[in-house]
Amino acid sequence: MADITTNTTQGPRGPKPKKTFSRANIFLYGTLIVVSMYYLLPLYVMIVTSLKGMPEIRMGNVFGPPMEVTFEPWVKAWAEACTGINCDGLSRGFGNSVRILVPSVLMSIVIASINGYALSNWKFKGSETFFTILIIGAFIPYQTMLYPIVIMLREIGLMGSIGGLVLVHTVFGMPILTLLFRNYFASVPEELFKAARVDGAGFWQIYFQIMIPMALPIFVVAIILQVTGIWNDFLFGVIYTKPATYPMTVQLNNIVNSVQGVKEYNVNMAATLLTGLVPLVIYFASGKLFVRGIAAGAVKG
Amino acid sequence: MSPALLGLVTIVIGVGGCLGYFYFSNLFLDKVLFPASGPNAGRNINRANMIRPWLFLGPAILALGLYLGYPVFETLRLSLTDRTQDGAFVGLANYQQMFAEPKFWEAMRNNMLWLIVVPAASTAFGLLAAQLTDRIKWGSIAKSLIFMPMAISFVGASVIFKLVYDARPAGNEQIGILNAVWMQFDGGFGSLLFLKVAPVLILAVFAALVAYIGWLLLRPIVSGGDNILVKALRAISGLISLWIALVALRNILDVIGMDFPYGQPQSWLTVPFYNNFFLMVVLIWIQTGFAMVILSAALRGIPEETVEAAIVDGANPFQIFFKIKVPQIMPTIVVVWTTITLVVLKVFDIVFAMTNGQWETQVLANYMYDKLFRANDWGVGSASAIIIMLLVSPILIWNVVQARKEMR
Repeated sequence: MADITTNTTQGPRGPKPKKTFSRANIFLYGTLIVVSMYYLLPLYVMIVTSLKGMPEIRMGNVFGPPMEVTFEPWVKAWAEACTGINCDGLSRGFGNSVRILVPSVLMSIVIASINGYALSNWKFKGSETFFTILIIGAFIPYQTMLYPIVIMLREIGLMGSIGGLVLVHTVFGMPILTLLFRNYFASVPEELFKAARVDGAGFWQIYFQIMIPMALPIFVVAIILQVTGIWNDFLFGVIYTKPATYPMTVQLNNIVNSVQGVKEYNVNMAATLLTGLVPLVIYFASGKLFVRGIAAGAVKG
Repeated sequence: MSPALLGLVTIVIGVGGCLGYFYFSNLFLDKVLFPASGPNAGRNINRANMIRPWLFLGPAILALGLYLGYPVFETLRLSLTDRTQDGAFVGLANYQQMFAEPKFWEAMRNNMLWLIVVPAASTAFGLLAAQLTDRIKWGSIAKSLIFMPMAISFVGASVIFKLVYDARPAGNEQIGILNAVWMQFDGGFGSLLFLKVAPVLILAVFAALVAYIGWLLLRPIVSGGDNILVKALRAISGLISLWIALVALRNILDVIGMDFPYGQPQSWLTVPFYNNFFLMVVLIWIQTGFAMVILSAALRGIPEETVEAAIVDGANPFQIFFKIKVPQIMPTIVVVWTTITLVVLKVFDIVFAMTNGQWETQVLANYMYDKLFRANDWGVGSASAIIIMLLVSPILIWNVVQARKEMR
């Protein structure tokens, strides 16, 4: 009895007991482990499988790291994998994707940034209506427009060509990009324009010397949105191109789903990784801006 | 000329053409058409300023009209014509034909299933991940890993999950992840725990949650106060939740009574009805990252005082989460939910790449692709496109209203 009273008067001694295994923590870590299994296991198995040889894969042991690291599947996926009669792997699709990506990204961003600037700069009759049309254009499902565009491209002779796909991507990227730029430019304080105009700057001077330097982050967001969107696009690629102009995603699907021969799991996984390489590199390089870009583009049709 | 150089030249011409158009048309307007000098300088400036917006937006309006506006109406028109009759007007015959096809109703049913499961699961997992990762040190790493699937294309994700669901004949070593796990179950205690007890518990919790939501929706109807439209909406959604809860309860009985084929590798994607859920898992896997980052930002924006006040009042973590945090981020949850709903309504790549609509996994977008580009029947194909459009339009209109409100 006496001991207890002396203890309480002196206060607790020693290090504070750590509650590492409190109920809340067990719940927290347990949930996290289950969740991370679901999200990370597929990614992990993809990478591991792409580094294994086919004999090793046939032995099972899905989750184990490769006993013998080989890059052969990567080479095969890039240069040799067959789709139908062509056997030059993803390299052809990569070339096509780049040739589709670069012009459509550049053009859509140039046009959209100028339009967004014009839209935020001038209040004119019909600007409200135009704005509404842009929103509808950004949200409307692409499915409603697929077939008439096939007819139109056929008539102007661009069906199946890279130019046709560039045109489609440029136009379909425009509504969401214009909105993105308009909203950004509209948030810039008006005094800035006024001051520049008083100083004698014209439309283009304001655009190039004030707007573009200020709007650099939004340009990066727009580029990320367009690059990932166009690179990962499958619907337009599969409809508006022919085998010689297939973008990478379509090529990937064809490699994986070609029925001839044995299933080469390692080549498939390497091909998936190769296809995802461009967005993944951008993701790890740009971090937070990538999230913004994806979030801005998540709504588009 | 090498292809690379040719490409570069094309790009320069294309981009330069765009810029040149803007620059020179502007110059033409200012210097030639309405010069800001001479006797009419004032009037000319006004006129030039009236025309200028149209000059700048002209190409965009033209392109959008040609490639966005016109095709929508053309699709509507095509859905009323028939290919075999050389494009003659046939009224609603295509729709009738489509409604008579069981494959269309299968696609409808599957789309509804996707619509219920995917947004709910993605938002819930995203919320869970956002809440949990905010509390630990390596949370940002976990977050960036969970977000990573967003960077991989839908097709890439489908290829990965094809490996997950892969099956080889019995007796071989299993390569598919799910089958490799499945072969571990042998009907013993572990199997009982994971395949009977755990699903029953999950289903029971799910049923209870949905029933509770239904109860919350239905309760205010009796007390009155709302107008009739809100009441009707509450009644409908409340009854739907109760129905879902009932279905979940029935599934519990199914799970208890089910005889699992232990030790038999399963080809998961060919099991009718359940394969839909295996496909949904792919989209949930992708979309959770999106839900997580948006909700995580919203959670951070919650004023610290509200949480502290709740702690002082003796609330437990669950109460803090469900009664303090969730109500405050409800608008964000709604935005995430509707965004994912839009994605789900248009889901195409995943189904196309994994099953192509076989084994009762058809969805509307893939049904439409089948009709348009495989069967070459643009009548019915366009009709199904219009159905997708109709399904999307409530959210579309809501979004337009919302965005216009923000603009003011």
